[in-house]
Amino acid sequence: MLNYALLLHAAPYSHQAALSALRFADTVVANGHRMKTVFFYHDGVHNASALMAPPQDEVHLADGWKRLHREHGTELLVCVAAGLRRGLLDVGEASRHGAMSHSLEAPFELTGVGQLVDAMLTSDRMITFAP
Amino acid sequence: MMLHLLNRSPRSTATYQDLSEAFGADDHLLLIEDACYAAQPSAGAALEPFGGRVSVLQEDLVARGLAERVDPSVEIVDMNGFLALTETHERCVSWF
Repeated sequence: MLNYALLLHAAPYSHQAALSALRFADTVVANGHRMKTVFFYHDGVHNASALMAPPQDEVHLADGWKRLHREHGTELLVCVAAGLRRGLLDVGEASRHGAMSHSLEAPFELTGVGQLVDAMLTSDRMITFAP
Repeated sequence: MMLHLLNRSPRSTATYQDLSEAFGADDHLLLIEDACYAAQPSAGAALEPFGGRVSVLQEDLVARGLAERVDPSVEIVDMNGFLALTETHERCVSWF
């Protein structure tokens, strides 16, 4: 069994990369490996939006990531600097910045790039998906 | 021994050039997303630098209507095959 980490740079629905990453993550767990961490970086932070509401007959990417967390304990880490720039704020950051609402909730977590380095060091494989 | 993951169509000539310069003797290339277009025989010399050590992702071929148009030198793999390539190659670098 190998520990996998994914680094996702791409926004949902704009490019294929987010869907490719989710399909790969599902394949990882289906084959008995551990899908340890997904790190959302740059435009990839939009995958973590709690307000995402795609049509019901389309893939719901945020729900896909949450399912991985629920069923396989996958950490869903969102770069805080990339998130704040793009309006991805949890309750604490929304309050700190005086925003009218928040847009990011557990199991997604706002973290620094130190967590990305940690994921690289503690995983057997790091696979990058980008636009 | 490294796995290279490429998602750009062969029109992104600079990316293919950079990749060919970094491609080692024991490395392997997997074409995903729009890089599937490079697996067609009509794509010409795009894959020449990679010495036949090239695979292409079946799901992405099918999504583009290219499943029957793959050069015989390119191996077709499904998602499990993609995963297997990451199992056998300790490092994986993405080109985009």
